[in-house]
Amino acid sequence: MIVHAEEVMGTVVSFHVEPGECPAVEAHTALEAACTRLHELDDIFSTWKPGSALNRFRAGILRLPQAPPEMALVLELCDEARALSQGWFDPWAMPGGFDPTGLVKGWATEQALGILELACVESAMVNGGGDIALFGLPKNSAAWRIGIRHPWRPDALACVLKADRAVATSGCYERGPHLINPKNGRMLFRTASATVVGSSLPLCDALATALVAAEDAGPELVRSLDGYEAYVIGVGGEEDATEGIVFATEGVR
Amino acid sequence: MVVAGAAGFAGIVAMHTGGAPSILTGTGPSTPVTSSPSTTSPAKPPTGAASSAVGTAEQYGYGVLAVKVTVQGGRITDVSTSKLQTAEQYSQSLAQQVIPMLRNEILSAQSAHINAISGATYTSEAYAYSVQSALDALGVK
Repeated sequence: MIVHAEEVMGTVVSFHVEPGECPAVEAHTALEAACTRLHELDDIFSTWKPGSALNRFRAGILRLPQAPPEMALVLELCDEARALSQGWFDPWAMPGGFDPTGLVKGWATEQALGILELACVESAMVNGGGDIALFGLPKNSAAWRIGIRHPWRPDALACVLKADRAVATSGCYERGPHLINPKNGRMLFRTASATVVGSSLPLCDALATALVAAEDAGPELVRSLDGYEAYVIGVGGEEDATEGIVFATEGVR
Repeated sequence: MVVAGAAGFAGIVAMHTGGAPSILTGTGPSTPVTSSPSTTSPAKPPTGAASSAVGTAEQYGYGVLAVKVTVQGGRITDVSTSKLQTAEQYSQSLAQQVIPMLRNEILSAQSAHINAISGATYTSEAYAYSVQSALDALGVK
């Protein structure tokens, strides 16, 4: 297995690649291309780099036709995610202006995986700082087993879930309060951690962000979306999951 | 909450950066912030009286906190937040309560045979201490 950790997008993106029949040199080339792509997207969408296309777009200096084509694509994805989340994910309601961060990291991570998938590797896992894109199956295993980080114990897990394409989790325990309720501007939530499992990582990412704000309405919101499931932990430690979440119990102590 | 009594218990629960309590670690690099009985009798065996110890104050995700453990008859009877400095209202609401136990929480991530960890986005600095970094290190072998 090829393992690589790339520092990008203010976090670390981990790659686990099983080349299988794919020649090692091709797998490595794809891995390099995936990392290059992540840096390109970071340059466009970073909210920290003053000269990023996103910051210039927000400031009105850069207009959409002049922006990299990715900008229009992300605007479209954000619009779609806002509708699917019934307004609980709303990049246009952020205090500093349009901020697609809650979707872009998942989208970028999924693109990195796509580059590996096109190279015909046997299987791959890309973890963009907690948002996971999956392809194929891990070696000697029938399913990917994804540990959900315990919101208050960084070295422990809340549970283990099975997934085959995408898993994203949101919460304020890593970087402090940075999420806001787009409907009333509040930053105080009764949800400590929200995980969404599904097929599209950018949508999982946006929905996980939405679920923190949606609090009690969250699981019901995800039930309305075919192929998406949710696992939520409240600040009191209470847990809720939609019916399709598959918990891994074997081998878990 | 019961705080009084002779200190026959030296165990400390401290919050590390990010929020992990290392239960019963003994003394950490820094000394306990406060200890409710000013005089301690170290050699005294546990009795029926309640005693408590306060862990070192540690920076965690939302501010600084120390955890107080109360022991009675050799068993932990209470765990609570003893010292708290937070800038955010959010932190207060979360940290003023006892860290809740989850139904199926798995304290040793290493025993769970997982392929990856999903969680709120960690910073590049926090990655170094994350379970994902341990999984990455294992995969390199």
